[in-house]
Amino acid sequence: MEGLVIRDLSKIYYGIYTGQDVAAIEDVSLEIGKGEFVAILGPSGCGKTTLLNMVAGFIPPTQGEILLNGRRIQGPGPDRGVVFQSFALFPWKTVMDNVAFGLKMRGVSKEERERVAREYVALVGLEGFEYRYPHELSGGMQQRVGVARVLANKPDLLLMDEPFASVDAQTRMTLQEELTRIWEDRQPTILFVTHDVEEAVFLANRVVVLSPRPGRVRETVEVSLRRPRTWQRLIEDLEYKGLVARVLGLVRTPVS
Amino acid sequence: MRRPLLPALRRLLTHSVVQGAGPFALLVLLWTLVAALEIYPRNFFPGPLEVLRAFAGLVYKGVLPTYLQDSVTRLAVGAGVGVLVGIPLGLLIGLHPASYRFFWPLIIFFQAIGDIAWLPILLIWFGFTLTTMTFIIVYTVIFPMIFNAALGVRTVPMEMIRAAQSLGATRWRILGEVIIPGALPNIITGLRTGLGYGWRALIAAEIIVGTSGIGFMMFDARRSGSVVEMILGMIVLGVLWYLVDAGMLRPAERATIERWGLVRQAP
Repeated sequence: MEGLVIRDLSKIYYGIYTGQDVAAIEDVSLEIGKGEFVAILGPSGCGKTTLLNMVAGFIPPTQGEILLNGRRIQGPGPDRGVVFQSFALFPWKTVMDNVAFGLKMRGVSKEERERVAREYVALVGLEGFEYRYPHELSGGMQQRVGVARVLANKPDLLLMDEPFASVDAQTRMTLQEELTRIWEDRQPTILFVTHDVEEAVFLANRVVVLSPRPGRVRETVEVSLRRPRTWQRLIEDLEYKGLVARVLGLVRTPVS
Repeated sequence: MRRPLLPALRRLLTHSVVQGAGPFALLVLLWTLVAALEIYPRNFFPGPLEVLRAFAGLVYKGVLPTYLQDSVTRLAVGAGVGVLVGIPLGLLIGLHPASYRFFWPLIIFFQAIGDIAWLPILLIWFGFTLTTMTFIIVYTVIFPMIFNAALGVRTVPMEMIRAAQSLGATRWRILGEVIIPGALPNIITGLRTGLGYGWRALIAAEIIVGTSGIGFMMFDARRSGSVVEMILGMIVLGVLWYLVDAGMLRPAERATIERWGLVRQAP
């Protein structure tokens, strides 16, 4: 099928200090259709980043399999773009060169790279900053570059690992709104990992709640809030508030 | 006409060469003073003027330019080989665990032997030749370069490498686009430390092995008892190294790691 299929996925780490095996993720199964926006929500240490790293191909699963568009994931690849919490921009490259990096690796011509990079720099609202280096930008602007860099590469799946967790609260809300706008415009398939309940409900079509260690799928909550979504509207929206309360309840109550 | 003079003067005073000369002016002043007081006999503790005269004399005779050229060429050859071998080897060790396990014990073993400890056997093998001197310099330059390049590789954040991987970069592209630029602060440190050590080792080698060069000149001056030439040699060493720093290393740092924000700007 088109999209992402995760089947019976487990990751067991061997603790070198304790000498014991620790399960980070256990028997997680999940499907994300093309064009879906799914948030994975769970407390710290529930293995949600481990799950994302396995989908990205950075670490191998202990059991189970991951398929993207029917192909088994073996390692990292440009079909899955990753946006990191730490931004992970290349400090020695300008905004343009960061955004054009994936295209350069694919051997796209210089003129074409320039054209596409300009388009995506504009998409994330960074016109005028094309030739700045990352350290000259604010955290929020750096993560815009992080998003543009991945989008410009046109991946089949966008993996976002708490991308807005290290920017201030106001900037975070702006970035969340911009991400929904981009998703509403272009419908990229997104797997978004977060510990922030409001963020998950605000952004996603579906919120997958993981239990604490080891992470298992506890419940999936459909979010059919009207789009386009803005904070100004949703902050007072009863349906939004109800969903947040419900998801918060799932995250906070211990597993019976 | 008075107005534009002041900014011009300020520009002159803030110019990096003038600023760099400031501390030295003070030093020379102090030196002149001590020499003029003649606490020590003049030929035992000569002043700046005598040294300047010796400098002019040696330049005129062509000795100093020739020796200078010999020393700098030796350093350049040693540094060149050091860079071409030391940095790639350091990168390899930093990136490739099997290479690390193979090379690391050998490197530590040979590092302990040190440059001067090689001299006796080198003199038997190669005699008083350029080969001996080049060996000494390469040997000294290479270790800081290896260690710092290897360390630099490990300072590159994992996520940056992962980002490159998931943007479609192959291993070789990651090396060129991510690892080497990311390791550059350490590579430059290795270059600076290695060249500094190399410069010192060269002088030592010239004193013992040399038939020419600044080190030879200084040691030769001992035979004729010419303190002036010894001091002149010391000044030439310092000035030359200052020029290498100000003319090559600092501009390279400013254009790369400082520009990219990997390190804060030097004042």
